[in-house]
Amino acid sequence: MTELRSTSDKLDNKAEDKLVLEDKDGVICNNAVNEYLMGIKGDLNQAERLVSDAVNNLVCNFRYISELAGSNHEMVLAIERMATSEGRNPINELLEKQMVTANRIEQELEAVITSLQFGDLVAQLLAHTARQVEMLSVELQRIDRQGSLQGKTEKRALNSIHSGIHKAVNEVKNKSKKKPVVQQGMKMGDIELF
Amino acid sequence: MAKTILAVDDSASIRQMVTFTLKGAGYEVIEAVDGQDAFDKANHHQVNLILTDINMPRMDGLKLLELLRKLTQYKNIPILILTTESGDEMKAKGRAAGATGWLVKPFDPKRLLEVIGKVIS
Repeated sequence: MTELRSTSDKLDNKAEDKLVLEDKDGVICNNAVNEYLMGIKGDLNQAERLVSDAVNNLVCNFRYISELAGSNHEMVLAIERMATSEGRNPINELLEKQMVTANRIEQELEAVITSLQFGDLVAQLLAHTARQVEMLSVELQRIDRQGSLQGKTEKRALNSIHSGIHKAVNEVKNKSKKKPVVQQGMKMGDIELF
Repeated sequence: MAKTILAVDDSASIRQMVTFTLKGAGYEVIEAVDGQDAFDKANHHQVNLILTDINMPRMDGLKLLELLRKLTQYKNIPILILTTESGDEMKAKGRAAGATGWLVKPFDPKRLLEVIGKVIS
């Protein structure tokens, strides 16, 4: 994009030096847009990594808990077989309570299976947003390329577009709050004692 | 003998959740990471049902569906789609390609097993 503009400008005569300067503004503007969009894509990638790390950890926890729940269930069944079948003795009452707990754990684990799928949903959503940002970037570059190939009668209008985009990006940048998350993974954060 | 299900998804966590659910219900599970991997595995193993995602690298679920339906041994095998996509247009494409059913993520383990139980017989 910059290359195209420079080449076309070199071909122009000296009287068009002013336009070269105006085009330089355009290049600065596009660099700012690219930088801004790259920043968004970086944030999206970071969010994807964080979610992915969290889900991987949760899946490990889930597998461990489900194994423990399975062992517990088997143990309850074994104790039940050993317990006397005559009437309601304290062991049988405890076993009944234990069975209720085991069933509840099983139900909760099923709910966790549904909840854990959020990672996949978020990853797909982030990929979709990243694609949209990419498309916006490509479209802006296309407009810029087209602009550099237009006749000089339209230069003023193009400069106005460039300065409009430049202003818009700056405005969004200024309005944006400081990035609240800097972690790149789910590792434990530093601890500082005073 | 336990029935075998081919679970296809590019998300490792989804594959693990699906496998956990199906194995808990007594099914044998073969995992595949995308459509191409699934197609290769389907050619080397005899499976009783295929559960596949749509959006995957290398080969998507719809292409996999089309290719499998061309094979004699997979003409009548149930193929369920498990995806985040819920649009009518996409569903119509799936149906046209020969899908047996369409499940939108996130799935509920009990509901998934009910649907599989219905179609696998």
